[in-house]
Amino acid sequence: MKKKVVITGIGVVSPLGIGHQDFWNNLVSGNSAIAPMEGLDLSKYESKNGAEVKDLNTEDFLGRKGLRYLNNGTKFLGSSAKMAVDDANLEIDDELSNHTGILIGSSLGNFAQTTDYFHDIIREGPSEVSPMKSYDVALNSSVNYVSVFFKMKSFARTISSGFTSGTDAIGNAVKLIQNGKAKVIIAGGVEQISLDLYMIFYLQKMLATGNEISMPFDKRRDGFIMSEGSYIFVMEEAEHAQSRGAKIYGEISGYGSLFSGNRKSDIEKRVEKACNAMKLCIDDAGTSQDNIDLISANGNSGKLSDLIEANAVKELFGEKSEEIPVHAIKSTLGESYGASGAAQTASALLSINNGLVPPTINYDEKDPECNLNIVNEKHERNTNTVLINSFDLSGNNSCLIIKKHE
Amino acid sequence: MPRVVVTGLGLVIANGIGVTNAWNALMNGKDGTAELKSFDSSQYKVHRACEVKDFKIDTVFENETTANTIHKYTYTAAKEALRDSGLGDIARSNRERAGIAIGTLAGELPPFEYLLRNTPEDKANGLDMGVALTYPPSSITTLLSEDFGFEGPNMVSLNACSSGNHAIAWALDLLHEGTVDVMLVGGGELIPQTEFTHFHNLKALAPDKCQPFDKERKGLVIGEGAGIMVLETLDSAKKRDAEIYAELKGYGMSCDGHHMTAPHPEGAGAIVAMSNALSMANLSYEDVDYINAHGTGTPLNDRMETLAIKSIFKERANEIPVSSIKSMIGHTMGAASAIESVVSCLAINNNAIPPTIHYETPDPECDLDYVPNEGRETEVNCVINNSFAFGGNNVTNIFSKL
Repeated sequence: MKKKVVITGIGVVSPLGIGHQDFWNNLVSGNSAIAPMEGLDLSKYESKNGAEVKDLNTEDFLGRKGLRYLNNGTKFLGSSAKMAVDDANLEIDDELSNHTGILIGSSLGNFAQTTDYFHDIIREGPSEVSPMKSYDVALNSSVNYVSVFFKMKSFARTISSGFTSGTDAIGNAVKLIQNGKAKVIIAGGVEQISLDLYMIFYLQKMLATGNEISMPFDKRRDGFIMSEGSYIFVMEEAEHAQSRGAKIYGEISGYGSLFSGNRKSDIEKRVEKACNAMKLCIDDAGTSQDNIDLISANGNSGKLSDLIEANAVKELFGEKSEEIPVHAIKSTLGESYGASGAAQTASALLSINNGLVPPTINYDEKDPECNLNIVNEKHERNTNTVLINSFDLSGNNSCLIIKKHE
Repeated sequence: MPRVVVTGLGLVIANGIGVTNAWNALMNGKDGTAELKSFDSSQYKVHRACEVKDFKIDTVFENETTANTIHKYTYTAAKEALRDSGLGDIARSNRERAGIAIGTLAGELPPFEYLLRNTPEDKANGLDMGVALTYPPSSITTLLSEDFGFEGPNMVSLNACSSGNHAIAWALDLLHEGTVDVMLVGGGELIPQTEFTHFHNLKALAPDKCQPFDKERKGLVIGEGAGIMVLETLDSAKKRDAEIYAELKGYGMSCDGHHMTAPHPEGAGAIVAMSNALSMANLSYEDVDYINAHGTGTPLNDRMETLAIKSIFKERANEIPVSSIKSMIGHTMGAASAIESVVSCLAINNNAIPPTIHYETPDPECDLDYVPNEGRETEVNCVINNSFAFGGNNVTNIFSKL
């Protein structure tokens, strides 16, 4: 019998708000976080919109010490991890620290600061660059910072798998708790907007043009909007959580991941692998597609990726695909890359606890090729089991099942 | 739980390309250190590195930028490991049950550096289409998955110097769970100027050579390369009559939770990593024949690692050979523990232990048998392979004869 893994704390640093309460209120109200970006100088480029984290007062969470050496990504991660641990009412004492680990997914980690550091090296000369500038520039240094902050002793792991990074981190954390490697894992995803990230998407013409809004599954969609943030959970062995009387948001009961490729793969193959990944995940959860109440779509407003997802859902759910509610939070939030699956996880947990489904905003013109039941208005619904889709452009397809804890 | 074995190996390191060349070079104590060529080092105090020499690209790359990626090494080592295992391009296997996990510290920084160096005014100049396609670290595994037809789970481990062992640990868990039958695992790294500067400014680089555990040790020598292995369930290997190098018995992870860069002075985390690995493997300290050390050649690490070994191996600490191949191939960062895992399997397969070269002056604080300067033939049934990264991120794994 597999151990049950539950979530007892949620920490959110998001363009939609700091803390899961603000995030949720804006998400269900459909208040978009998308606006012209202020943090990057984009005067030379056409795409200007993004969803940036604003009003994070890191000091409130991490104190003042050493703060000025930390990057945005580390501030996001550190603050949201502290929020999650406080929300879980968890005290990581000496004994528990031996059984507490951290597992974070991030596509680029602190790559942008690493490349900034290189830019300084070539402009100023290597001997002129202050050693403190290198304090927080390893790709995984955000995670090191948090492990030291909480004095975690079990393990620290950063994984990168593109858009699915956060989903894969959560999936991996479930397995590590199940096989007894830790009792508590601080897990989730973090991504920060940077010129580096922007250019990757801009050069590949993946960003939305025209009005620059995110409209998943809408016929007019033509690209995504960049977003950032950190969505962190206290994941806990169910028995451990119950023995300390913790409030339980839900259970992560299934995970599945397959690779479809994109360079050598046609659409049919990509649809097939996305469909198989959902199937794998549903099997892992020991449930069936009939029990899925809600699909949290990857739907990021990409022309091809939304089409592939819609077809994969149709393939798996058959006729039922026209009834089962599907929503895409990236319509409101944008595409937060390695953090996106973790953002969907936060939303799924809050849907289960509040009996509400956040709307897919900007969904006005139905695309006959994406014939799903897209929820475009805030929707009251008793939700027990959510399937989360997280698909990467280069071919990773990862899914999670979040369910009400009984 | 299925048993997991190693059926294929691939190496690209500074003293040899291909497993046979590399193993002979390691056993003969061949030093891969030479003048640094990856970039102009005239502004630095150190000019030496362990770069891969005489490398011929074994694949068709789309453009000049991608030809300068880690992929050139991981592809070559992966191809060798897959051929060696008899799996080829895995066409005959269930592709969805074959995944990839690769560790790296810096990822694909050098192509960006190469571009920006020529036009340093604007950072965006370092980001062209070629860079954009390979820049996210996940390109390391997605490219390999496409090259060799893998359709299972895919992960890049970004865990500094223990990245390779993290990837191997993740893969072992997937194989144990029964999610996959085959995992291609390992690590790859180039020498980015960024990381060279990082170590240089922390005064962690040795001026000329890497001398692990020597009293005069002055730091690490930066290195590059790739080490890849094919892991599969014993059942899967037996079904196809594959040759088996070793069994992967287990791993142990820990985290110092102590400091962003310095290791815990008494090696608390290192002790936990080794002890967790032994307990997962269901082995005792009495079963281990060889310790493939993290042994970076920095004063702090080698002292800490020696203390940790003594704490775990007690009265046996002085009789177990401990060696650091970083003395010959440098510190290949995210690839290091993967390369050392490959070498651990070779030690078992050949009943031989590669030396720690440049060992001249004993250090009273490091008083174990470091296999000084000469390789040794001896029965090797069980190897423990340590990796202790910056930030106190530790992963140890254990291989033994089947």
